[in-house]
Amino acid sequence: MSTTGDSAQPISGAAESGKECADWQALMERIPYARHLGLEVQRGDAGVLVHLPCREALIGNFMLPALHGGVLGALIELTARVAAQSQDAETRCPRILDSHINYLRSAKARSTFARADIVRQGRRTSLVQVTCWQGDENKPIATGQVQLLLPTMAAQQEDRHGH
Amino acid sequence: MTKPNRTQHSNAVATAWQFTEQVPHGRELGMQVVSVDQGQVCMRLTPQSWMFAQEDTKEICTSVLYSLADSAGGLAVFAGALELMPIATLDLRMDYLRPASGDQALLAVATCRHLTDEVAFIHCDILSEGNRELLATANATFMRNTQGQQFHAGGRGKESA
Repeated sequence: MSTTGDSAQPISGAAESGKECADWQALMERIPYARHLGLEVQRGDAGVLVHLPCREALIGNFMLPALHGGVLGALIELTARVAAQSQDAETRCPRILDSHINYLRSAKARSTFARADIVRQGRRTSLVQVTCWQGDENKPIATGQVQLLLPTMAAQQEDRHGH
Repeated sequence: MTKPNRTQHSNAVATAWQFTEQVPHGRELGMQVVSVDQGQVCMRLTPQSWMFAQEDTKEICTSVLYSLADSAGGLAVFAGALELMPIATLDLRMDYLRPASGDQALLAVATCRHLTDEVAFIHCDILSEGNRELLATANATFMRNTQGQQFHAGGRGKESA
């Protein structure tokens, strides 16, 4: 890494974004269904992105063709889960409580991207807004809000005892 | 499982049933249509280990339930309308009541609650097949008569819009 010419701020910003990207990647790789879908964590201009490469098995309407609504559901839910977990100081694994997705444009059979905005990161819950687009980030094809529950210590122990 | 009752149905429902079973993503997840009766649809999905939400638990990823609800909801539109027309999901809201165990098949029961010329309102419950425990509920709105599509099950790619 070069230190000449540049101010300290952009360099540390880039390093942080690189670390954030690596953190997301590690969390995403732990999710079997995310691996199956082929979700890839990437570094975008304004933060971390999740890329869903297109393949035939993700099609929901072969007349158009268009991606299945549930595939966008998965992209949104899993992006929200990783965003919430990476924001948590203890990287607790969140439980998805609910999700509400609006479909704005038809999802063509091509690469799809998602970015997450944390609406609120609380002590017990996290609300994440996810935006999906294909060619043009300013023309989203779907947006979703996902509510996640961050387990308390007591709940984690209960889980371990099989309740 | 009982023999599917596809043959008892109107052409519209039979075609929509056939269309649903041909959807590539539905096939990949192993979704099956169990029954279509009086505007109510039942679909089934057998979990596999690549559908799990974490390495160390046998919990099915919520997004698999989401896909199942979306597919069952779409078929419920045709079960309610009894006519073929292109549809599109406008929005879908899922509530995940309980973790879905990978040991049990999932059942989706979707009902068309209300139908207008333009919109269909669908409710879907996702249950665990064994104990019939309610795992998740979904409410979805579908747009009917979306333009630029033609509907032909069985004619894959034959007359795309």
